[in-house]
Amino acid sequence: MSEFETQRDKYVTFKSGNEYFALKIQYVNEIIVFQEITEVPESEDYIKGLINLRGKIIPVIDVRVRFKQEPIEYTDRTCIIVINVKDTVVGLIVEKIAEVVEITEENILPPPSATIGHEEKSQNKYVYGIGKVGESVKLLLDPDRLLKDEDLTVLDQISEETDMEEGE
Amino acid sequence: MAEEFNTQGMLDMYLFENGQLLERLQEIVLEQKDEDCFDEDSINEIFRTMHTIKGSSGVMMFDEVTKISHKLEDVFFYLRESKPDNVPHLELVEHVLQVADFITGELEKLQDGESADGDATEIVAAIDAFLTAIKNGEGEQGKEIKENVHEEPQQFYIAPMATSASHFYKIYLTFHPDVQLANVHAYKTVYALKEIAEDLLHYPEDIISDESTAEEILENGFKILLQSQSTEEQLREIVQEGYELKKVDIYECSAKEFQQGFDSFGTEIRIDLESSVEEIEAKAEQAEQAESAKTPVKQPEPKKIAPGDFVIESKEPGKGKKLAKDKPKKQEKAQFISVDVHKMDMLMDLIGELVISESVVLQNPDLKVPGLKLDNFNKAAGQMTKISTDLQNVIMSMRMMPLTNTFQKMNRIVFDVSRKLGKEIEFEMIGEHTEVDKNIIEHISDPLMHLVRNAVDHGIESVEERQASGKTEKGKITLKAKTESGKVWISVQDNGKGLNRDKILAKARKQGIIDPYKPDSAYADKEVYQFITLPGFSTNEKVTEYSGRGVGMDVVVSNLASIGGTLEIESTPGQGSTMNLKIPLTLSIIDGIVMEVGKSSFVIETGSVKEFVGVREDMLYHEPSGEEFVMLRGEGYPVLRIGEWYNLKDYQANTNEGMLVLVEVEEKMICLFVDRLVGKQEIVVKPIPDYIKKVKGLSGCTQLGDGSIALILDAPGLIE
Repeated sequence: MSEFETQRDKYVTFKSGNEYFALKIQYVNEIIVFQEITEVPESEDYIKGLINLRGKIIPVIDVRVRFKQEPIEYTDRTCIIVINVKDTVVGLIVEKIAEVVEITEENILPPPSATIGHEEKSQNKYVYGIGKVGESVKLLLDPDRLLKDEDLTVLDQISEETDMEEGE
Repeated sequence: MAEEFNTQGMLDMYLFENGQLLERLQEIVLEQKDEDCFDEDSINEIFRTMHTIKGSSGVMMFDEVTKISHKLEDVFFYLRESKPDNVPHLELVEHVLQVADFITGELEKLQDGESADGDATEIVAAIDAFLTAIKNGEGEQGKEIKENVHEEPQQFYIAPMATSASHFYKIYLTFHPDVQLANVHAYKTVYALKEIAEDLLHYPEDIISDESTAEEILENGFKILLQSQSTEEQLREIVQEGYELKKVDIYECSAKEFQQGFDSFGTEIRIDLESSVEEIEAKAEQAEQAESAKTPVKQPEPKKIAPGDFVIESKEPGKGKKLAKDKPKKQEKAQFISVDVHKMDMLMDLIGELVISESVVLQNPDLKVPGLKLDNFNKAAGQMTKISTDLQNVIMSMRMMPLTNTFQKMNRIVFDVSRKLGKEIEFEMIGEHTEVDKNIIEHISDPLMHLVRNAVDHGIESVEERQASGKTEKGKITLKAKTESGKVWISVQDNGKGLNRDKILAKARKQGIIDPYKPDSAYADKEVYQFITLPGFSTNEKVTEYSGRGVGMDVVVSNLASIGGTLEIESTPGQGSTMNLKIPLTLSIIDGIVMEVGKSSFVIETGSVKEFVGVREDMLYHEPSGEEFVMLRGEGYPVLRIGEWYNLKDYQANTNEGMLVLVEVEEKMICLFVDRLVGKQEIVVKPIPDYIKKVKGLSGCTQLGDGSIALILDAPGLIE
């Protein structure tokens, strides 16, 4: 069986907040334990800085901050998922790695329309589908959107606006 | 699939080898362009080069290249054989360069994956005409050809200089019948034997350029006659039976047998000249063309030469040894291998990691347990440190390349442009062996080319002008390189008319670059000259093929700036101008000062640091605008608190506890306020990943000894 075959439908799942998220395994280079991060000034808040991955210097982003969840203290359970999206290698800091699961196409539903609440919404930008695994549900992440900056600023503005409206 | 790979490999090899040959060819030609004619060695070498190119191009079926190299080979064959003394040298040089350009062009096409579709007909015709012209001008060549007929084989076989300790061997190699490219394997053996050979002769001979010899070798075996000090055992060590070699027979023989050549090998052997048939044919052709073609002496004779004849013909025995190791180009090549730069980078990364893990081991907390006896450990550790330092130095030196090729290119440009413009120019190179990182070389070639062109076009005056101003008719351009204080200095100097200050100023005023209320005298010469590096600025009224369009100098400067280099212009009216380029030795490694602010480490290039100052609050004063200055020896410098500037956490706010680093870039000073200094260190510069937006004042990042990351401060960026 080819590499592609074995990897098809496989997802790495991790927990962030109350939800479980899933990333296609093709994007994942490796998972490493948390290590010291060097801050880079003047960068976005979710970009935590740089780590030294065996001589290669890569940026890391905090998924919780990215999802506008409350940041938490990093513990020894904190992991960094190193992903490679179109040759951009980035580390994702996640609370906890869950497992590798198989989600076949018929178990993937389109994302819910974004009307429930604003917390959900800020995540929904990065979710392209919902995968059912047995009884549980995993949010399938689009890593491209997760990393991209441009649409973030636009979306950020929107979400800030809605925030304000809601606040009023 | 496999076959495709093969042709690709062959093509790569073809491109690489011929590229080198062409470079060498240009070098020879340019070296002697100012002489009256080529010397004998050069003629031989050009001939051989063309012959090799012809051969390999023939194999690759690049017909135009084959044709053109064959034509030039003819010319040099004629020169070599007839030694005509009325050859218009410059014309010849131009023809050779034309051919070199044509072939280089074709090679470039091939490299880009296109087909070699250039048409050489015109050049071939021009060379033909040239050849006919020099032949007609030469009356006596017939006689000389006769003499030279015998001389030619000398490049293949030189009389042995028997010393008493020499042994003579006959070596007979039988290859496995299914071996591919037996000729190459045979050459490998020959090459290995040359190391120890005093004299060496092999059959078939033309194993490098003539691929058909492979079959012959498989069929009849490969024969070597060797004169050497080595014993048979040593020989056997060099020539071992193995995967390709089925059988190796080595017989010791007498000097006499040796001189008899291959005849004594066995009956199936023909005369050793067989392989150079091509040349003999060329010669015969030559002879036919020559006026005295009917002289009987030189017709069939060459093919009947017995090996022994050559022995008698050998002239200077001193030269023999050198020539015995014929084809010097091949040797040069063998000293280099081309390595993928990525692999080098990987190696460099790995060594970087090795150094870091070394410090992790050597400073391991486990070693700090009191009462441990570490004498032996420390001894071993010291040894390891030494090796890893050596390793670092080696990889660094591997990336360094001499500027020779780049300078050689400039030589060519001077020649071309000056010929076209009808100027006489002497070109001098100083320090072309200065070594610079490969990346840098790639970046300075274009700027340099532009500066040299400018010097030829604008700098050096025409012959008449020079005469009128009482200068030597010949202009002179000097290209100089040296390393000093971690930088490479390259200067392009001409002894032409120099820059015209008034003209530049006038132009600058017209373009509104300078303050209209400032008098001309307020500008220093240096400032004025710097104007010519501004975009769209050209004082030359007429646009020539080479320069004057006003694009150029600004490109030069921006190209240099991209590698951290600068350009400085000096000029004396009437005496010429000098362009000084200051370029960092390497892009990847800098000598830096490591500093700490809060929890972050920063590095700044040592070269830009003027001094460190411990300060007290009362040395600082504040402008109403909020800017902070420090008084040092009566002068005020602006202060930049890195912690504040970058909004870092936990940085030292108390002035008395911190440290000031005085940084100078291009005569501008700034003081950086940091928490503390850590030390001086050589660091490997790595780019900050693209994913993170560019941060002002940061030019990269690096890994420190403990594996942590430090950010590299970019002094010019900070000053802005």
